[in-house]
Amino acid sequence: MNADNAKPGRSSAAFAMAASITVLFSTALAWAKDAYKPLNDFMNTLAWHNWITHGIADVILFAGLGLIFSKASGVERIAPSRLITFLVVATVVAGAGLFFWYAVF
Amino acid sequence: MKITGSDIILLAHSTFGVLGILSALWVLVETLNAREENAGRTRRAALLAALCMSVTWIVGGYWYVHFYPLDRALILKGPWPWAHTLFMETKEHLFFITLILSFYLPIAARDKLDANAAARKMVLCVAMLIVLSGLAIEGSGAIINHGAKVALLHASQGAAR
Repeated sequence: MNADNAKPGRSSAAFAMAASITVLFSTALAWAKDAYKPLNDFMNTLAWHNWITHGIADVILFAGLGLIFSKASGVERIAPSRLITFLVVATVVAGAGLFFWYAVF
Repeated sequence: MKITGSDIILLAHSTFGVLGILSALWVLVETLNAREENAGRTRRAALLAALCMSVTWIVGGYWYVHFYPLDRALILKGPWPWAHTLFMETKEHLFFITLILSFYLPIAARDKLDANAAARKMVLCVAMLIVLSGLAIEGSGAIINHGAKVALLHASQGAAR
């Protein structure tokens, strides 16, 4: 196996970056709608309930960013270990961020 | 015995959540033993994880929007209001993280895992994150359920006095 093969494929790398950004966005959106009621009300009007709007926004962002990054060449140049670390750290920070937000506020 | 539509939807929601977690665990085990022969099975298990989490999202979302407000009001009046304010609020948003990771899993599993150490590590990490976050969500569900139960017990004890 040569060095190039020891990288995730283009789509895998692109969607890993998209997933990392999306989980951070999702937590930031949860904080924002909890702290700013007009945003929560606005999201309630978009798709029956703010939670449904939130989920749809996450999925659209994940798919959109994944497709954009798949076409771009930058993500391929990121070291696999950094990509994996970013995804794991983003997930842990986003999850813990939710718990501490609702524990404190 | 009377089983309502709400009961069936709620149980289906948690059942598909557990099946999604088990599918991610299946992917993890297959990836630890990645060979050319089990590549197809690994990809199918990853797809199954995404499918189960999608069903959990739709079914759980329907229950949350249509039936949960009654439970929420009950929990908030009971002795465990934090079952909603902390655990439900965290759970309902943590689920989106698990959902996105489960959508990513089949994409990551498309790489040649038997020949590519980095791709293998990526799939292992994602599957592990789905399992751990999924278990945290299931545990939160149990706390929320108990929050409703203690609220009902509290209310019935109050009525009996």
